This record gives sequence, C-alpha cells and structure tokens, in this order.
Amino acid sequence: MSMIVLENVEKDYLHHGKKIPALRGVSLIIQSGEFSALAGPSGSGKTTLLNIIGGLDAPTAGSVTVDGTALTALSPRELADMRLRKIGFVFQAYNLIPVLSALENVEYVLLLQGLEKKERRERAEAVLTEVGLQDLMRRLPHELSGGQQQRVAVARAIVSAPAIVLADEPTANLDQKTGAMLMDIMHEMNLKKGITFLFSTHDPMVMERSERLIRLSDGNIVSDESKR
Amino acid sequence: MKIFFLIGWRNLWRNKRRSLVVISSIALGIFAMMFSMALMNGLNNQMVENTISTSLGHIAVQRAGFQDDMKLQNSFSPSETALQSLEQTPGILAYAPRIQLEGMIRSSEASRGVLIIGIDPEKEKSVSGIAEYLLPDQGGTFLLNRGDRELLISKTLAEKLDLMVGDKAVILFQDVDREISGAALNVRGLYQSPIDSFDKYVIYTGLDTLAKMAGIGNRISRIVVRTENRDAVDPVAAHLRAAVPDPGIEILTWKDMAPNLLSAVALFDAMMYIFFAIIFTTVVFSIANVLIMAVMERFHEIGVMKSIGTRPVWIGAMVVFEAVNLALAGLIAGVVPGLLLVGALSVTGIDFSFYMESVRVWGTGAVVYPSIKPMDVWVSALIVMGTTLTAAVYPAVKAARIKPLEALHFI
Ligand SMILES: Nc1ncnc2c1ncn2[C@@H]1O[C@H](COP(=O)(O)OP(=O)(O)OP(=O)(O)O)[C@@H](O)[C@H]1O
Ligand SMILES: [Mg+2]
Repeated sequence: MSMIVLENVEKDYLHHGKKIPALRGVSLIIQSGEFSALAGPSGSGKTTLLNIIGGLDAPTAGSVTVDGTALTALSPRELADMRLRKIGFVFQAYNLIPVLSALENVEYVLLLQGLEKKERRERAEAVLTEVGLQDLMRRLPHELSGGQQQRVAVARAIVSAPAIVLADEPTANLDQKTGAMLMDIMHEMNLKKGITFLFSTHDPMVMERSERLIRLSDGNIVSDESKR
Repeated sequence: MKIFFLIGWRNLWRNKRRSLVVISSIALGIFAMMFSMALMNGLNNQMVENTISTSLGHIAVQRAGFQDDMKLQNSFSPSETALQSLEQTPGILAYAPRIQLEGMIRSSEASRGVLIIGIDPEKEKSVSGIAEYLLPDQGGTFLLNRGDRELLISKTLAEKLDLMVGDKAVILFQDVDREISGAALNVRGLYQSPIDSFDKYVIYTGLDTLAKMAGIGNRISRIVVRTENRDAVDPVAAHLRAAVPDPGIEILTWKDMAPNLLSAVALFDAMMYIFFAIIFTTVVFSIANVLIMAVMERFHEIGVMKSIGTRPVWIGAMVVFEAVNLALAGLIAGVVPGLLLVGALSVTGIDFSFYMESVRVWGTGAVVYPSIKPMDVWVSALIVMGTTLTAAVYPAVKAARIKPLEALHFI
C-alpha cells in the first residue's frame, strides 16, 4: 500500500522578492512499513520535503497524498487533526514541551486524541519503557540528556500508532553511539508495529541503517536505492 | 482541557519574578479597589444615616404641600386614624411630632437666621440622634418635656453667638398670622451633630412652647417616623398611605424628601467606577505586555505543540488559562488581606479627626466605618477577571496564529 504519494511537487520560497526553488518537481512513492532516509547536501530540500509531507508547509505545485488523504484540500484545523492522528514528528532538537515531564509529553498526544486517563497512562508508560526510559519518566526535559530527550520524542511520535513518523535529522545533535541506539529503537518500532519511517540526514550511520536511501540535490531526486 | 490549564499554570512559574510582579499588581489593584469601595460605602452609609438621624427620619407624615412650602400655614392636626395607623403599622419603631419654622436667634453679640424646631423631648429621643449629640461636658442637659421654655443649640452656633449654657438668647419669627413673635429663652444644652451645616442652622425648644408662640394651637408641622430598616421604608410608607387615605396628608420617605442625597451617593459610586476603570486600563496593558513576552519566549515550543497536532484554539486557550491563573493568584492575594483589613476597620473605624472639619462638611462624622458587601467583593473579582481576560485576547490570538514552521526555525 502506498503511504505517501508525491506527484511533481514544486516548492518556491520568496526571499526579498526573489524566487528560491527548493523543490523542482519531486515525484515519490513511499510504501507502508518502509524505513527510508532522505540524504543530500545542505540546501538540497530535505527539510522542505518532510515539512510538505507533514502538512506543515504547502507545495507551490503538485499533489501530496498521505495515507489516502490529499493534503492540499485540507484547512489548517483539518491539517492539525491529520498531524495529530496520522503523523508523528521528531525534530533535530527541542522537541518537547519544557514544563511537562517525559511521561506527560508522551501522554499529551493521547490527551489531544481524547483518550481516557487510565489508557493514556498505560500506553505512555509502555512506549517509554520500549525506548528504555522506564526510570526517567517523571523527569522534565531539561533534566534529561539530549539522547534521552530524543528518545522521549520518538516515544511521543509513535505512541498514538501513527501511519508515519517523519524525522528531520533526529541524530544530528547526538554522539555516534547514542544516535545508533536511537536508530535501533526506531527500527524496532518499524518492525514491531509496522510504522513507516522517513528520515532526513547527513549521518552515514543513519543512511546505512535505513532500508531505502533517496538522494536529493538542488531540489531534485538524483538517486533512489532500495537495500532490501 | 485540563492539560492546558496545567501547562498555563506551570508556565507561570518559569519566570517567577515576572509572574509575581503581575500577581502583586493585580492583588494591589483589587486590594485598593476593595478598600476604596468599603470606605466609600462607609462614607455614603454614614452620610445617609447622619442625615436621617439629624433631620429626616425615615418617614414623614405631614400636610400635603408641606414638603414644597414649609410655612406655618401648612401645619396640621393629625387625625385619630393617622395616629392609630402609626401605632399599628408593622415595621414602625417610633414616631414623634415636630414643629419647625424659620426665624432668628439673637444674643447680645450677634444674630443668626435659624430653623427653630419644637420637639417632644422624650419622643424625639426615639426618632432622631439629637439627644445623643448633646455635649454633657458643656454643662447642659437635654430638654425634659414639651413645655420647656429653653433652648438647645449647637456648640458651633454658641461660639458664634458667644453663648454658654444658662445664658439668655432671643428667638424671633413670624407667627401664623404674620405677626412678629418672640421670647427670651435660656440655653439649656449644647449639641454637636456630625453635620456642620446642620449645626449652624438648627436650634430646638419645647413643642408646646413653640406652638403657643406661633399661634397654631395643637397643630404641628409633621410627624417623624422611625422604622426598623431605612432600606425597607417603601413598604411601610405604602402601608401607611393605604391606612390613611386622606388626600390632605402626604406621607414621604427619606428618599422622597432628600433626592439629592441619593444622587450624591450615586455620583460617588460613579466616580469610584471611573477611578477603577482608569486603574484597570493600565493593568490591562501591563498584563497584555507580560503575556506577549511569554508567548514570544515560547515561540519554538508553541511551534512544536502545533506541529504535533494541537489546534490553534487550544494554544489560545493555554494563554488565556495562564492569564486566568495570574488573575486567580492575584485575586486571592488581594481579596484575603483586603477582607481582613476591611473587617478589622469596620469594627475599629478610621478616625479622621485630624481632618475633622472637612469630613464634617460631608456630614459623615469623624470616624468612618468601612463596610464591604459580598456583592462588592464579587464585583471586584469580576472586574479583575474581566480585565485579565481582555488583556489575554490579543496575546492569545497571536499565539494561536503562530505558524508552526516559522516557530520551529526559531530556537
Ligand atoms: N523559509 C524559507 N525562506 C526562504 N528560503 C528557504 C526557506 N526555507 C528553506 N529555504 C531554502 O530552500 C532550500 C531548501 O532548504 P531545506 O531546508 O529544505 O534544505 P535541507 O536539505 O533541509 O538542508 P540542511 O541539510 O541544511 O537542513 C534552501 O535553498 C533554503 O535556503
Ligand atoms: Mg534540513
């Protein structure tokens, strides 16, 4: 099943009246359950592409379909609900709500979805245990290391069993070992729960561990290799 | 949603100093508001009460037209029915006859225009405060009976006329036939009421003495009635009017007789609200300012919240909750000491004697007893909440409209 379908997606930014093309007609299909990475030099359009798939940014031209829903037709509120139910995000850093504990940050998503307190608690505790944070759940983000914070972010992204998790350079602020551990956790979730993952990265370790590598350059896909 | 209240609450404590500044300014605002309301209530209350206990009483029964033209020709003899109704109407505590006429008092030193009131001393004690205003340390006493041929004048007037207890003074006026009538009477006692203008103008003598001099036989000017509660005079007056269906008689409440007193109270209240409006307009801007700073500081995390699916309204609600938390904290910090202070002062009173003369002009007396009604507390709380919510609108809308993408870039 096709989870993400991009057709001729173009994105131009306006900067001081000058048109800056970030994506120049990208077509891409990501199947359900893939564990894929976007690579490419800085400025090649990786973040832009993830943002468009996540409904955080709108393409200038082309169509985007996520899990069967065409994003271009949605209102801001519908986009918010879409992100809430179908998409998990992991950003480079500062992913968490600073005044909420690790557990509360994870519960937050379930709360927005209207789950009962008991179920919220159980599910949040279960995913935090899966990412290895069972002993640190009550800590506030600033009381956790960068790697631990990223693991909370992963837990939050997967807790509501979304169709897809988009992660923009999730390991960029982590050391090699911590980054590898985070990748292992995400891969495990991918295999165990069938959640689709799409990364952007400069990190060879991430490229190596992903099962499909899509290379961008100057707003175009230049290579696309599957390792499976 | 509870979580946004929780986030709002915790956000409050991220910048403790800033929040405390806002909380204490709200607290100070409501404290000042409660205090000035209570003081104003006390002043108004005493102004009304003093006017009632010096001159008005609660209800007057008099000849129709007397209120507009208080001449001797408008005096009357109360009918049996009228007197009976006064006895039988529920809510009436006491009543007393009065004769009043304009005249002059003259000592060897000077003379003044005055209002001469003839009273039945025993009955007068139960409808007005005049017996309590007597100054025993000046050597005098209150009048004893309605036939007394003696005078009660104020200390102020005594000083102006250079009179002391026991001195003779002459009163002069036109009797009912417009003939000059007069007598030389001894000053029996001196009084001081809380109302300066009253003291300068009013003197008392025996009811029968004045009736005889005025040539009105057994007629009187009015019957002054005291009821159980000055705020519940209307039903009593209505009852009386029904019981005495005489078009030649008018039955008026203190509100009818002194509409300017009511409008003075209303004016003071209005002034107070304008004052509050000014204070709280400045509070609106300071709260709004703090909230905008708070929103800008959290630009990135609001972006995160939005990108993981929080609806814009909830972001706005979070800011509003934060404002509500500030207001609640400020309310509690202001209302509790406010109630304690007002409660204490309502017992001890605030002594303005150092300021006495000007306070006496307002007719409130030197010691003011602030009083606060539950309603006032609710109104203050409502004003503070309303102010805070108003202040929160712009920051909340601004936060709700933050574009997640821009906010995520902003670290
Ligand atoms: N808000 C914006 N306004 C103007 N130009 C932008 C904006 N965002 C991105 N761009 C431009 O679009 C192009 C693609 O940027 P993008 O952030 O997608 O690159 P990237 O591949 O994620 O780079 P990096 O590896 O450095 O994160 C770049 O030329 C960038 O300068
Ligand atoms: Mg990028």
